[in-house]
Amino acid sequence: MTPWLVIVAVALGTYAIRASMFVLVGVRPLPRRLEAMLGLVAPAAVAALVSSIVLIRAGSVEPAPIPELAAIAAGLVAVRRTGNVLAAFAVGMPLFWLLTPALP
Amino acid sequence: MMSLAARRPRTDARRAFVGGVRDIAPLAASVAPFGLAIGAAVGASDVPRLAGWAGGPLILAGSAQLTTVEMLDAGAAPLVIIVSALVLNARILMYGAALAPWFRDETLMRRLLLAVPLIDQLFLVAAPRFEEDDLDRRARQAYYGGAASVLIGVWVAAQTIGLVAGVGLPPALGLHLAAPLALAGLLAKSINGRPAIVAAIVAALVVVVGAGLPQQSGVLVAASVGVAVGHMTATRRERTSS
Repeated sequence: MTPWLVIVAVALGTYAIRASMFVLVGVRPLPRRLEAMLGLVAPAAVAALVSSIVLIRAGSVEPAPIPELAAIAAGLVAVRRTGNVLAAFAVGMPLFWLLTPALP
Repeated sequence: MMSLAARRPRTDARRAFVGGVRDIAPLAASVAPFGLAIGAAVGASDVPRLAGWAGGPLILAGSAQLTTVEMLDAGAAPLVIIVSALVLNARILMYGAALAPWFRDETLMRRLLLAVPLIDQLFLVAAPRFEEDDLDRRARQAYYGGAASVLIGVWVAAQTIGLVAGVGLPPALGLHLAAPLALAGLLAKSINGRPAIVAAIVAALVVVVGAGLPQQSGVLVAASVGVAVGHMTATRRERTSS
């Protein structure tokens, strides 16, 4: 029984987090200062996500293996150049496959 | 002429729906390996399979779901598990704040429905698309709905396959890299202008500095600090240039 209760509680709590701002915006407009910042949420959040996936393991700083770091850096540059997200896979995956046998 | 004008929004909405499907496709594909792995993890744990599987469509957030399943399996206290998972998901609050103004004219019921699928990949695709500002209300919802349905469809299918097949993908294939690769691609597209670059760099650094933050709150804290510092550089530049 406990697993179900915990999973449903996490689901409801997560939904409350998702819905809170959508509900609030109907009650009163967001403060202008806050609204000016919202365009920066995407770059900041995605940078934080990538950084935490690549550099953090179980609460401490532990960088991913070099082939993974190289693939992700190359993917970032490739998308920067082409403007197409698919370029990240096209460049990053082959680089990872090439480097993995070469590096420990 | 009248009928043409009346028909136009419908075509726009349909085109926007297809656009949402197309834009989310690479990202939906990139989370499939993670979905497979979570399905396999549920199968290998002591958590009842149906409950663990239901966590996919109910929680709709991979890292929180995996944390929940792993902590249940380890016998952690229910309240500790719930708090951990919710802290991990607190970053969604920022996505809600950033998208809410685009949906402010919808009914409360509609907004409650639009909140259901809100998650990293959907936000990261929808926010820059909305900012191009060429979609009307209906088209925005169509775009968002198209993207959300593909993302959820792939996510639930991948977890189901992982659970039934009982195995994730072999690590040597490196497909676990797909999600961070896609995110890196979105990062490359989102850093336009000095404030955005500052926000991204600061956020990435704060993650490292805050590695020991409790309950994996690092991403939320780092993103908030990044937004604040990026905003400061923007306002300072405005002041000096005016």
